Amino acid sequence: MAVSFEPDPCAKCEEVLQPYLDRELSDAERAEAERHLDGCSYCRKRYRFEAELRRFVRQAVVEEMPPDLKAKLAALRTPL
Amino acid sequence: MSETTPEAEPRKLAEEARDRVRFEEEALALADQVYRVARRLVSTREEAEDLMQETYARAFRSWQSYQPGTNLRAWLLRILTNLNIDRGRRVQRSPDMQPLEEGDYFLYNKLEEAGDTDEERVDRRLSQDDAVAALSEVPHDFRDVLVLVDIGDFSYADAAQILDIPIGTVMSRLHRGRRILKRELADRTVGSNV
Repeated sequence: MAVSFEPDPCAKCEEVLQPYLDRELSDAERAEAERHLDGCSYCRKRYRFEAELRRFVRQAVVEEMPPDLKAKLAALRTPL
Repeated sequence: MSETTPEAEPRKLAEEARDRVRFEEEALALADQVYRVARRLVSTREEAEDLMQETYARAFRSWQSYQPGTNLRAWLLRILTNLNIDRGRRVQRSPDMQPLEEGDYFLYNKLEEAGDTDEERVDRRLSQDDAVAALSEVPHDFRDVLVLVDIGDFSYADAAQILDIPIGTVMSRLHRGRRILKRELADRTVGSNV
C-alpha cells in the first residue's frame, strides 16, 4: 500500500520511527521513510540518535545469568 | 486396537526419553537468553532466579506440550511471563494512562536544548545506572513489551503471542513504554525543567 508523508512529512517520519527501527514497516513505508530521511537532516539526526539510544539502553540493562543458576536449572531435569 | 509386541513398549519409552533429553538440552541452551529478559521483567536478581527455576521446572514437566520446530525461546518466555503474572509480582496492575504529551523526538530535543548536539554520543550523557533506573520506572504492562522487543529481540507478532494480547496492543504499549523511558532518561540527564 502506498504511503504518503504529505502534508507534514517530518510528523509522519516521527510517527514511523519506532516501527522503522523495529523492522516492522512494509517495503513501501520503509522506502517512503528513507526517501524523506535522505533529504531531511532534522529527522535523520533524530533517527540516528534513537538507534544509538536503543543500542545504549540494551547494552546498559543487559545482565548476564549468574553462573550457578544454569546448574540449578539443569538439576530440575527429569532423572533418566 | 493395535497390537504391541513385547519389544514395542521399551522402544517407545526409549524414544520418548531421547526426545525429552533433547528438549531439555535445547531449553537449557537458551537459558542465558531467557534470563536476560527475565531479569528486566522483575526488580531483583533473586526474583529473576526464582522465576527462571519455576519456569524451567514447569517446562521440563510439560515438555510434551511444546511443538517441535516452533520457537522454543518464545514458548519458554510465555511460561515465564504467565508465572510472573500469576505470582502477583505486578504491583502496578493498571497501566499508567496519564496523558503523555512528549513525542518520539522528546529526548533528542531536550539534549539539544541543553546544548549537547552530538547526537551520536548518547553514552556521554547517559550512564548505565540511568538506563537501569529509567527502565524500572516504566509500568509493568509497558515494560513487558519493551523488554521482549528491545532486549529479547522478539517481533511484534511473537511478543503478542507470548503475552497473549493483540498485536495492536503490543504496538501501542511499546510506543508508550518507549516514550515513558525517554521521559525518565530526560529527567535523569537534563532535569525535568529544561
